[in-house]
This record gives sequence, structure tokens and C-alpha cells, in this order.
Amino acid sequence: MVEIALQKIVGHDNVLTQPDLLAEYTDASSRTTVKTPGCVVRPENATEVEVIVKWANETRTPLVPVSSGPPHGRGDTTPAADGSVIVDLSRMNRIIRIDNRNKIAMIEPGITFGELQEALAKEGLCAYVPLLPRRNKSVVGSVLEREPITRPGHHWDSTDPLLCAEVVFGNGDRFRTGEASGPDTIEEQWEMDRVQMNPFGHSHVDFQRLLSGAQGTMGIVTWITLKCSYMSEINRAYLVPSPKIEPLIDLCYQLAKFRFGGDIFIVNALNLACLLGNNNEEIQEIKKDLPAWIMLTSFEGYGILPEEKVASEEADFKILAAECKLNPVRVIGNASVEKLSELLTQPSPEPYWKTRYKGGNQDIFFLTTIDKTLDFSVEISKLAESYNYSSRDIGVYIQPIVHGTSCHCEFNLFYDPSSRTEVTKTREMLTTACEEIARMGGFFSRPYSAWKDIAYRQAVGTAEMQRKVKKLFDPNGILNPGKLCF
Amino acid sequence: MTYQDYTHDMQRCTRCSYCKWIPYRYMKSTDFMEGCPSLARYNWHAYSASGKFNIAYSLLKDRIEIDETFLDVLYHCQMDGSCDVSCKVQQDLEPLQLMQELRIKCVEEGQLLPVHMLVIEGLRKEDNMMQALKADRGKWTEGLNTKDLSSESAEVVYHAGCRYSYDEELKSIARAGLTLLRDAGVDIGIMGTEEACCGGRAYELGYAGELTKYAEHQIETLRTAGVKTLVTPCADCYAAFKVLYDKIDKKPEMEVFHITQYIHRLIEEGKIRFTREVPVTVTYHDPCHLGRLGEPWIHWQGKETKAMGPMIIHDPPKKFRRGANGVYETPRDILKAIPGLRFIEMYRIKEYTWCCGAGGGVIDTHPDFAVWTGAERLKEAHAVGAEAIVSACGWCKRNFLDAAAESDDDIEVYDIIELVQKAM
Amino acid sequence: MKLAEEEYKALQNIVGSEYITREPVILDTYNQVWGNAFFFDEKHSVRPAAVLLPVNTAEISEIVKVCNKYGILFKPFSSGFEYLSLSLANTRGILLDLKRMNQILEIDAKNMRAVVEPYVSVYRLQMEAAKHGLYTGRIGVGYSAGVIAAECCHHGCQHTMVFTSGYGRNTLGVEWVLPTGEILNMGSGESGDLFSADGPGFSLRGILRGRTGANGGHGVVTKASVKLYPWYGPTQWEQTKKPGEPPSFGQLEKVPDGYKVFVPSFADLDTTLEASEELCRAEILCAFGIGIIGTAQIQEGNDEEWAAMQKARQSFDPAGGISVANSVVCVIGGQSAGELEYKEKCMRAITEKWDGSFSEQFNESRALARAFADIMWSNGVNLRATGDFLPSSSSPDGSPAMLKNLALKEGEVKKRYEESGAFLSMGGGRMVSWRPEEHLSIGAQGISTAQYDPYDPASLAAAREFIDELFDPKSPFKRYGVPSRGGCLQIEPVTHIHQNWGPLYDNYDVYLRKIKRMLDPNTVADWTAYIPPEYPDYAKDGDYVLPSYGKEEDI
Repeated sequence: MVEIALQKIVGHDNVLTQPDLLAEYTDASSRTTVKTPGCVVRPENATEVEVIVKWANETRTPLVPVSSGPPHGRGDTTPAADGSVIVDLSRMNRIIRIDNRNKIAMIEPGITFGELQEALAKEGLCAYVPLLPRRNKSVVGSVLEREPITRPGHHWDSTDPLLCAEVVFGNGDRFRTGEASGPDTIEEQWEMDRVQMNPFGHSHVDFQRLLSGAQGTMGIVTWITLKCSYMSEINRAYLVPSPKIEPLIDLCYQLAKFRFGGDIFIVNALNLACLLGNNNEEIQEIKKDLPAWIMLTSFEGYGILPEEKVASEEADFKILAAECKLNPVRVIGNASVEKLSELLTQPSPEPYWKTRYKGGNQDIFFLTTIDKTLDFSVEISKLAESYNYSSRDIGVYIQPIVHGTSCHCEFNLFYDPSSRTEVTKTREMLTTACEEIARMGGFFSRPYSAWKDIAYRQAVGTAEMQRKVKKLFDPNGILNPGKLCF
Repeated sequence: MTYQDYTHDMQRCTRCSYCKWIPYRYMKSTDFMEGCPSLARYNWHAYSASGKFNIAYSLLKDRIEIDETFLDVLYHCQMDGSCDVSCKVQQDLEPLQLMQELRIKCVEEGQLLPVHMLVIEGLRKEDNMMQALKADRGKWTEGLNTKDLSSESAEVVYHAGCRYSYDEELKSIARAGLTLLRDAGVDIGIMGTEEACCGGRAYELGYAGELTKYAEHQIETLRTAGVKTLVTPCADCYAAFKVLYDKIDKKPEMEVFHITQYIHRLIEEGKIRFTREVPVTVTYHDPCHLGRLGEPWIHWQGKETKAMGPMIIHDPPKKFRRGANGVYETPRDILKAIPGLRFIEMYRIKEYTWCCGAGGGVIDTHPDFAVWTGAERLKEAHAVGAEAIVSACGWCKRNFLDAAAESDDDIEVYDIIELVQKAM
Repeated sequence: MKLAEEEYKALQNIVGSEYITREPVILDTYNQVWGNAFFFDEKHSVRPAAVLLPVNTAEISEIVKVCNKYGILFKPFSSGFEYLSLSLANTRGILLDLKRMNQILEIDAKNMRAVVEPYVSVYRLQMEAAKHGLYTGRIGVGYSAGVIAAECCHHGCQHTMVFTSGYGRNTLGVEWVLPTGEILNMGSGESGDLFSADGPGFSLRGILRGRTGANGGHGVVTKASVKLYPWYGPTQWEQTKKPGEPPSFGQLEKVPDGYKVFVPSFADLDTTLEASEELCRAEILCAFGIGIIGTAQIQEGNDEEWAAMQKARQSFDPAGGISVANSVVCVIGGQSAGELEYKEKCMRAITEKWDGSFSEQFNESRALARAFADIMWSNGVNLRATGDFLPSSSSPDGSPAMLKNLALKEGEVKKRYEESGAFLSMGGGRMVSWRPEEHLSIGAQGISTAQYDPYDPASLAAAREFIDELFDPKSPFKRYGVPSRGGCLQIEPVTHIHQNWGPLYDNYDVYLRKIKRMLDPNTVADWTAYIPPEYPDYAKDGDYVLPSYGKEEDI
């Protein structure tokens, strides 16, 4: 039996079969056909993962790697095949090493942002963080999913902040990417000052790119190194309000181009209110004083002249803002940038910020260029009208990435999960919205279940090649079948 | 020298391909970055200087023969030296000299281009490169009443050159140049019908014997005529007398000037004055033979040795000709002194000028290529906003005229002598 | 080996008779490249059966399909200026000279990217991008490096990596003719704009290249979208010289407005490296170099250089006075006076912290202008000194501390060859140099060139011995990473890097061979600078495959 075989690997207590526990690894709000896993196995280390994967190959058992806690709403970590075994990596929760000289952390999948930030703070470092992630979100999971960080000036490449990784490929091979590879153990490497820092290679292949965005279909990652920032000694931030998004887009381009600032992103009034308010009432109260659009820009002071760094960037920022006819402020009604800044380095306080408005949330996100976000916003608003969906219930979040050469564009459809009408309307609108976004050139680079078919319809060549590549690393197709284009 | 003497260079050409471009640090326009007309037109690496090193090395290694393709590659080249300048920005190699030796080898082995054979036959019979009659050489001087050095003597000989002497459209320029100098009080004479070719163009085709023959003839003839100074309006002739004769150890005792140098001197002495405005926007085209190919020859005898281990040096130290000491500023000074004239530089100038297209025998054997090259230059002149292009060589003017006609280009094509004349 | 008439005609029908050749005279100009003597004992590598000049992607796709049909090897290249050779695994191969694909298709200034064809050089893109206030990084081999060659196909380490990254990190989109002839557009390019090459899902950039590209071994990249960086300088510039000075003396009069250059010097190696780390992590630099500062006037020729070196010998003595080895070049740029002021203040504060100083010799205005041009654009590649150099350092990139250890170890080996006269010896003490990447956030690249004379048998033999020592997977260097020396010495039939090092490094070569086989089922994309689907039967010495210098044409 499956459970017995797995118990021999990880111990009795680390194989879960109770239905109520298994239910946590599915999600009714997920777009996929809901399948219940056969069981959950919880390894403690990479060796156990290796054995599990080899076993899965012998028995042709689908494995679904998971490292974050519930809910699993996007569909990438819920089973799509019968008899799947969830490989829950949350027991692998060591911060293996923090190198404060090279600004690197080496962590296992079970580490969350809160845990990481606490440990990094002691070393004078700070993680690159997406926008208020869930408290039980795995850092490794977030990084591998290419969740955008809020500091575009430090985002050189889509894989950032990922550096190196240890992985068990779908064929059971254990492998270390980039500089982490080699005949030595990682401890022996440290003795030589090899710190698993450089992501390139081996040789003609960037193996870490085959893991990033793969939704666990290529291998199970057992640790990563990621780059970190210096912790700021001083920090000043601004809200830049605007009734129209166009001047914010112009300002955003300037900041991104010249690598100014720390955190930079644009949200609409609803999303800013959700970030700051604890419940629907507070959100409404905050929102009423807000203009349609707000940019957040922070200036982070660290290094040898932290004050001067902040002062210099701030001064130039104000000039650039004025040129765009914008007026940065610290407070807008009940919205305070100070409060927002405090929140930005940490995971979202409970309840998760996207659930505070109405309880339910459906994200739609894709990549585009910053200048096109206006067109998408207009289109989504129109669409909402046609579905009698109030555009006032749609949050917008625009995050420049890769030094501003593109951006993560996100629409949050908020709905009341107890209202069947709203649930249905949201679901219908979601499909149409995704089709329209694709038609307009939006790029669904992270193909979650809600839009993966649409994504791959636009990427036939890529899908064909990915299937061939996958066969090399997971010849029996045991890793997370039914995800991406597999 | 033979081509084998450049084995070191053949081996050390790294295919950096700098020879295909003007020196990178001087690039100003991405539309006008190329330096080598051959490569620009024909694309195959063989047409570049690096390609010539390659074919020479393959020949040396008996991997190839001199066949039709070899000749095609070798002679679709104006021998303009752009590659040589660019290569030498960061190498101590001699691409142009290697190409010259390959041509000499081809001629020695009877690997001749039919058109060249006709031209050289004409040279041998009639002492000119224009396939014209010797008897007609002096016709451009009719009515000028200038000293005839076959029977008189003068300090300065005005050597018109084959192109100026026979080209109907250019004769007036030859006359104008002579008249300018004479009227400025220079004790000047001409050889008239007895003027013979300098031998320079024949040499560039690979006919080394012709150069020697005409060098000896010129030196003896002019010495007999008591000439102390030679002035020529033709850049090709200038390079032959100034550089090539020295190269083959036949350096004349007389001073050799291009007419621009002499005019410049006369301006400084106040003997030529500009009194009239010439309101035109011009750009100056540096003739290869006045500029980089007009750089004085440097003789060197020694050996290669090493320093700091394998660093290649020479004993005694070897000075390379890198194009810097050609005549560049003088014609510019003249133009800038002309009242009302607006002067604009093109993007490829001085040491890294783009060839007019006429050199290396190309105007004879591949006139379409010559015209194409010239037309590219006219595009550049237009690109900088010039109404006129001015040069200081009859071959340049001829080729620009042909290129302009072929491409329906209405740009004015001047010889610098014409503009000087207009300003007086 | 000649192509059959039917094969030749099939190719000719695609490009037209003007753009294909099988003339030996022309073919032999495509197999004489920089590093050939090192690999093959000979300046000539295998003569191709034909060379083609295609003009667009469709032609290339058709050509590749013909190659598949008839089993003909092919290899594309742009400038072809690389150590790595245009070698082919056998004579039944053709070369694709991409000279005619030379368009800058787009510069999107707002979204900071350029879309280019293969023959577009780095310097040409730098000149064009400057008109838009943008910049592409300066590649090791200098001006004429192809943008696509650097980003996608070969190596792509940049002298300006502290700010502009490298190694394919700037690739935003790619059009790729696969070895089957199919055309793949990656990422967003498949349906529209070329702003992201990653996804959906995992990124195929992972198999496009790694630390080094496939060097033509898996098809032809016919278009690439690359990230551009801010350029703070003028839209045009002029380098001038005085009349009579050699062309190599052309330089800027001063550092362009918008930039400043500083060359601080430090007391010793350790302090220099500490200060360097701090300078790089301060996030103020546009370009940086240790020990390779570019301030000196490069003399017109070797003889002049030797004379100047003899005069300046004391500069290399770290025991007294200012030493080049313990000096660093820092380029800062700013879009405002305030930004420049802050960055300068920062740089000076760090310099002061490490007791650095600014010597007049290195910080004179024209010296700084030379340094700027050299590091931001190039002064060319110094192959003149000895005829050749072995590029870069052995290992993958990594932390400065690791690179220092490696450099010192390599230096000990290199010293033997310098002392024997086989390698250029500048004299003086230890030198460690690395190029930071992305403000040192992902490490740095070690720099350690060895200059030798490939046509001096003793020097060539020494170069090979040196590489054998470093490339021996049983040597102490085995722990530092798969050697590549700038991606330049990975000619698999000769240096056997994958075969020797794969088993030590997670059997990466097994995956690489699988990828090759998958992409190229008929093995028509030349693999000499990539990897074969199966290793040929080389001479073996126990479990270490010896380098097979000079045996390439037998394979």
C-alpha cells in the first residue's frame, strides 16, 4: 500500500491519510477539477525526498510538491490526477545559513517570510518580499513561482531573488544548480568561500530557470539560496496620489529607469485601502478619501551614507514627480505611508489583506509593459460593467519588474463567497477577462489553472518544447501531472 | 619582399574584423561605419584584409591555388588602405603590403586580368595609364605659354599625371593648377608631351617592374632638367613620387609636393589671396593617396625579438606607418580660408576616409564596383548636408562624376583647385 | 568534403547563387580564427563544404531543414571574432555567415529594450541606444562583439557587469531556429511583444544558454530582445587626436557630462579587495575594474609599448608607490547633479575608510577619459602583445573571497610559466582581479589572463600544459567549478570539458547531452563548441580523458 511504503521512508506520523487533513490540500475555490489526494507525505530532508521520488517512479505515483500552508487557491499545488500523493515540504524548515557579507540566505521550503525576516534582521539584512504575502506562504514557493518583489530596482531578472537550488528531479536525480554544484558538500564549499551564490550554469544550461515557474513539475526543490538586501537604517516613503494613472506610469518609468527607490508599485484606491484596513468598514473609510490611483515609493538608506542616499534619491524623486505634475505626500486621509511601510517587509497580518473586503478574492495577473496597464484597466472596467460587476470591487496592483522593462499587472476580483450569484458572476467574468487580456497581448507567464489553457493557446511552440524538456527530467511524468501544459 | 615574408602577419591575424570598419573610436554615424568597400559590397570574409591574410596563408600552405576566385577576391579591392589603418590601431601587421605582394606575385606568375593587360600594354607603348597616345599628352597645355622642361629649365616641375592630362573634363583643372602657381610667381615648367606616367598605379596592379622603370626614368629626366621641386595635382602621382619611389630605394633628391601643399605655402607667403566669396557648403573627401597612402615610407631592417617572455618587439624598434602622417590638414586649411565657403566634415575622414572607388585598378576592371563605392561616398556627403564634395585628386573627381551621373545625383563635384580658382 | 550537387543546389535555391559559395579560396577564410593554433596545432580548422549568407529567418529555417534532409552539419556566426573557432566536427559541414542580418529592428526607449538581428555589434547598439538615453553593456571582446552572440549564444561577460549584468541575464525575447528548422519564439514573443522570454511556466532560456551559450550547437538565434540600461552621457561623442598622432591615440577630451571616473589606489591587495567589495555593494557604480584600469595611453605598437613599460616599471611594484594592481577604476553616472554628488561622496567615503588615495597619474583628466572609454566602450582587445591570450579565469563565478583564493592559486601556477618566459610577465606582485555582477549581488567573475605566443612552440606547449593543469579534474582546481575560461576553451573534441567534469558536477553533462539529442535528433547543429549527443571514442587515460590537441580533423 502507498501509505506503508511512504511510512517506511518518513516514519508513521509523517504520512497523513485522514480525510479532514487531506481536505486542506484541496480547495473548492480552485478552478481545477477537485481531486482529493491519496495521502500526504511529509519528508524531513532531501534524502527522504529523493527516496520518495524514486519510489514514485517505480510505482508511477503522481507527486504534488507543496510548501505553503492553505488555502491552495491557484491550483498549482492541488492534485489534478487520481491517486496523487502530496509531498508537503513544510517540515523542511531550516534556515541553513545566512551570509551577511554576501547578502545571501540559504533556506528550506518550509520557511515563511516572517521567519526569514526575523532571522535576517539579526544579521542586518532583509528579504525581498512580494506585496504582503500570506503568513503561511513559503518563501521558496514564492520565489519559485516568480512572485514579483516590490523593489524593481533590484530585480534584474525574472528569477530574482533566486540564486542556486538543490533539487530532486522527477527521475530521482539529486542535483545542485549554479555555483552550488560540485564534488563537495555545501559545508565543504563554505570552507572554500564557495557560497552557492552565482546562479549561472552549469555550462550551457541554466538549470535554475527550469525550476523557476515550473510549479513543481520538473523537480522538488529542497533548498534555495536567495539574495537579500541590506536592512535599511533609515527609510522614507511617499504616496503619490493621482486621479489618472497616466502620470503615475510616466513617473514609474523614470524611477525604474534610473533605479531610484526601494519599493515602487501602483495600486488603485481599493487595494490601498485593503492593504491598510483590517475589515470592510475600515477599508471603506480609508477608500473614501483616496484618489483613483496611488503609487508607493520608498527610499531605503543603508551602506556607508544612508542619510545621504535617501536624501539624494528623495530630492530627485520630487523633481521627477513635479515634472509629471504629481505631488507626493505622506498621508492621504486615513491612509498613512508610515503604516504601509511597516507592513511591506512582513507577511500580511491576518486576515489576509485580499480577504478583508468581501471574504473572497479571485486574482487575475499577467505580464505586460507598464504603459499598457491603462488599456487593461479600462478594458477590465468595461468588462465588469457588462457583467454587472461593480468595478469598485476590483483591486488593481501594478508592479514593475525586471528594472521596469515589464510589469506584473494584477486585478483582484473581490466577491462574497457566501453569495452564489457573486461566485458565479466572478467565475464567468474571470474566463472572459482572461480571454480578453490574452487577446490584448497580456502574457500569462505564470499559468495557473484559471488561465493556463488560454496561456498555452498563445504559446504552442513553447508548450511543445516544454513537454520535450520535461521528459528529460521527469520521464515518467510523475511530478504534478496536469499542470502547465503537461 | 615577397608575400612569404608576411607569414608572421598571416598567422597572427585573429579575425578581429576591425579591417572591415573604420576605427571604432572614430565612428560617429551608424550609417557610415564601414571602412572596406570590398567587404561592404561583396560580403564574403575573403574580401576583407583579414581574408587576404587568410588566402595568403592558405596559398602558402598549398591548400589553394591562384585561380579565378583568388584573382576576383584580390582585385575587387581599391588598395585604399582603410583596412591597414584600422588593423594597425591595435595590431602590428601589414595587411596592405601583403596585398601588394600578392598582386606582384600574380603578375610574376602570369596570372593577369585581361583589362589590366590592355592598360599595361598601353603604358608600355605610350607611357600612360589611359590607353591614350603619348603624342596627345601635352594637349592640355596648349596656349599656356609655360616653360617646356624638355628644352628649358625651371626650379619646379608641374607633373599633371595621366588622368589630368587626358581626361577632357579634367584638363581645365590641370591648366588652372599650373596657372595658379605660375601667376603666383613660381618658376615652373612642364614636361608636356614628354611627361610620362609615374608608374604608381601600375605598381598597385602588381606590375612592380613598371614602377622601377618609371621611377628611374622620372628621376633621371627631372634631374637632367635641373628640377629641384615637383608639384602635382594628382594624389596618386604624389604618393608614387613621395612614397613608392622611396619604398623601392629610389627616393628622388628633389622635393615632392602635392599642389595643395604648395598652394598653402603660397597663401602663407601672401602670394595667393582669396578675394571672392564662394558661397557653397562643401565637404572634403580625403584622397587615399594624399592621406594615409601618402605617409612617407619608413625603411627598417632588423629582426623580431621578444621581451618579458613572449612579447613581440623588434631590434631595432620598428616604426609602422599607421596613416597619421598623410596630408590632411593642408587642404582643409585652404578650404576654410575661402571666404563664404561653409565647410562640413563627413563621418569617415582623414586616416579613415572612405575610398572614392577608383583605386587599385578597380576603375578599369570593375567599373560598376568603382561607381558603387563612389556613390556610397556621395550618400555620405548628402548625409552631412553638403551641397558639394571636393577632393584633391583627378581620379577621385572622375569617379565621383561617374557615380553622380550613374545615380542621378545632382551634388556638385569639385577639385580643390577649382574652388581656389573661384575664390581668386 | 564536397557536398553532392543535389545538396548544393538545394541550398542555393534558398539563398540564391550570389550568397552561397564552395570556392576553396573563400572557404579557407572561414576556418582561420584566433585560437585555432591552440586547439588544432594549425591556424586552419576544418574547411567547410560551403558558406552561406542568409538574409532572414525564413531562409535559415529552410537551410536547416535541408541540412536535416541530407545530414549536413551547420554552424552560424556573426562577427566570428572569438577564441572559440568556427570549427566543425567534420568536413561535411556548412557555415552560416550572418553578415546580412544586421538590422536594429526596434529600440523601445520607454520600455528600455532593443530588438536586434545577429550581425548588430555591441558598439553599434551603444551608439544608437545613446540617442535614446540608453546603453548596452560593454562585452569582453570589445566593440565588434555581436549583441546576440553575447546575450544568447556565446559568453557575454561584460566589463560593466556591476551595472549591466551579462551572461544572458538581459534577454527579454528570442526568435530561435531550432536544429530541426522549426522556429521558436520564446515567452511573450510567441504572441506579440518581446518583453519577456520566460514562460508560460518555466523558462526555455534555461536551455537556450547557461553560463555560456551553445555556440551554434543548438540552432540559430535570429532575433533577440535585450534589456537596455540608462545612459547618462551625451547622444553623440567624439574621440579626437592631434594631427600626426597615430589613430590609436584618439580619445575623449574628458569624461562625458553625466559621468565621473575615479581611480583610487590602496596600500595592498587585501585592502584593495575589501574596498572593492564595499564599493560594489554600495550600488553606486556603472562600471568597475580592479587592476585593469585603462588610464594609460596605449602606445601605437609593441615597440613603443615596451619602451613605455620600461619607463614606467615602478608602477608595477606593490612594495612602494602606487600600484596598478592595487588600484581600481570606478565609473559613476547620474541623471542629476545631486545623484552624481551623492555617488561621489559615497565613493570617497569608502575610499577614505580603506585609506585609499587618488594618485595624480591615474586621476588626471585625460587619463580618466581613457579609462572611461576603455571600460564603457572598449579600446580593442590586446592580442598584439604576444599574439594570443588565454581568457578569463577558470571557474564559474562566485564570491570575491573564493575568487581571491582561486586567483592566488592560479597565480602560483601561472608564475612558473611566466618565470620560464613562456607567458608574458609584467613583473611585480600578486594580482587579483574580478568583475562584479549586479552590484555583487550574484557574485563576480574572476579575471586572470595569460598571454602567450601561439607560434612559438615552447610558449604554445606551455599554454597547453597550463590549461591541462587547470582543466584536470583530478587537480586541486576540481573543487572550484567547471572551467570554461570565458566560455572560450570549450571545444569538446579537444578539451573534453564536459566529459571530464560532468561526473564531478552532478552529471550535468548527461542532461546536456539529452537536451542536445532532444533538440537535434539528426545531429546537424555543429557540436564542437557545445556537446555531442554521445561522446566519440577519444583516447583515454584511465578515467581522465586527455585533451586531444591537434586531432580535431580526425573526428
